Amino acid sequence: MTYKDLSTTPAGSEGPILRCEGLTKAFGGVNAVNGATFDVPRNKITALIGPNGAGKTTVVNILSGAMKSDSGTVHLGSTDVTNMDRAKIARLGLMRTFQLSRELGGLSVLENLLVAPKVQAGESIFNIFFRPRLVKREERQNIERATEILRTYGLYDLRDNWARELSGGQKKLLEISRGVMASPSVFLLDEPMAGVNPALIERIGGYILDMKAQGVTVLMIEHNLNVVERICDNVIVLAEGKTLATGKLSELRQNKEVVTAYLGEVINASTGH
Amino acid sequence: MHQFVLSIAFGLVTASVLAIASVGLSLQFGITNYVNFAYGDFMALGAFFSYDLNNLYLHLNIWVALVFGSLLMGILAVGINRALLSPFARKFDKPFYVLIVTFGLSLVILNVIYSFWGANIRSYRTPVQYVKHVGPFLLTINQMIVMAIAVVLMLLVHVLLKTTRLGKSMRAMSDNASLAMTSGIDTQRITTITWFLSGTMAGLAGTVLGISEGNLTPASGELFLFVIFAAVIVGGVGSIYGAMAGALIIGLATEVSASFINASYKLDVAFAILILTLLFKPSGVFARSGKA
Repeated sequence: MTYKDLSTTPAGSEGPILRCEGLTKAFGGVNAVNGATFDVPRNKITALIGPNGAGKTTVVNILSGAMKSDSGTVHLGSTDVTNMDRAKIARLGLMRTFQLSRELGGLSVLENLLVAPKVQAGESIFNIFFRPRLVKREERQNIERATEILRTYGLYDLRDNWARELSGGQKKLLEISRGVMASPSVFLLDEPMAGVNPALIERIGGYILDMKAQGVTVLMIEHNLNVVERICDNVIVLAEGKTLATGKLSELRQNKEVVTAYLGEVINASTGH
Repeated sequence: MHQFVLSIAFGLVTASVLAIASVGLSLQFGITNYVNFAYGDFMALGAFFSYDLNNLYLHLNIWVALVFGSLLMGILAVGINRALLSPFARKFDKPFYVLIVTFGLSLVILNVIYSFWGANIRSYRTPVQYVKHVGPFLLTINQMIVMAIAVVLMLLVHVLLKTTRLGKSMRAMSDNASLAMTSGIDTQRITTITWFLSGTMAGLAGTVLGISEGNLTPASGELFLFVIFAAVIVGGVGSIYGAMAGALIIGLATEVSASFINASYKLDVAFAILILTLLFKPSGVFARSGKA
């Protein structure tokens, strides 16, 4: 499958958009992921929760191709993306963010968005020299779209700044907006609310709901249960690298196993007991 | 005074050759993150390709031969990367191992050139050169064309990096290859294109060096490599604009110094500047936030 094919491969239109079965990943003697199996429903916001060390980030790394699994399969729609090159997965429509925001620091804020869209004419030397109008038109359209996204995310005034000059919260927004620019079908967010102030949590929550409204499926690792309760349709609980339960948060609060493994710990932490 | 003005003109010609070579080396280093010690030999090989097209086969005009010889070198650079360097880079995480491979490659290419073209000093077939006054400078037509090529090429590189998706992808990869991949950038393709551009620039630099010096030998690129390194480091390693500025500084300084001290110390002047840069601004005189 070439990169060009990948950009047009649909993620299907029926069934779960992301399906992983029996994922395992060990580091030395430690099983970070130990048979995780779950489906991510299409066009929903799903939270991936669990205690520290449950293997959440490792699962997201495997789903996005940043890490190879030892066994198990991952399907994006009908396409088997198990251990596929991460750039190919991204071009199939699965984007991600990181727990600690990452930016292309040597590029401007605007340029960070302009590298995100899938296959473009301007990637080819031939097109640059022999189809300059097409390249220019595409670039103009991309700049318009990037500008619109930057306005939405409140980064427009910083568009010409080096990305590395942004504050932590701004980098978080930049990372999300770069993902949005790629028009993903699935967006994996690794703790998007971590380390940001309450006002920004509100804003990011709103952006995630907007993504859903535009047909994007979101899978987010999140510890803030208020946020999960408010914006997530579905929850997957991981513990010791396995899927402990899936369902709505209100249902999971009644699940003793989940309460013992995670929710009790979080509720106690938040109430100070 | 007259000698000083003349030396500035020579300095600008040297800086032009140096700029083409330094930008080519910097482009490749910025993307692959390892130094190609065979770059000087790429220059020589490209120069000999142009030589054959100009003198032996087709008898092309030197400027046409330069284009085809350089493109040939670009294609060969892609092949060398695919067959040799890329497999090593994939196998070993540390750039040091690939650096050693490029050392070996340098010796192989040098000896291939010796075996095919011999050790004789050769020169391109060019029209008779008359010196012309350009402002206060005295320059031959060839020297003026070499400077024009460098200026046009630097502008093209600037436009490529700043305004095209390809250039932005190259800068993204240079900045953070892992994140570039996660963003969907086809890093293998970008690497191939970079090797093609770097190889083509090496071929161009080798040929214009032969034109401006009036002769070429198998070792001419290798000798020039150290000056290229000086320009790249003085400008700021990995920075394309730094490489351009470094080339101007080193090119001018080496030639202007020749009007005050013995010309055989020109290389020493380049190294003195390099050492001073490493002592007082190791990141390079023009290093700034952002690589390109």
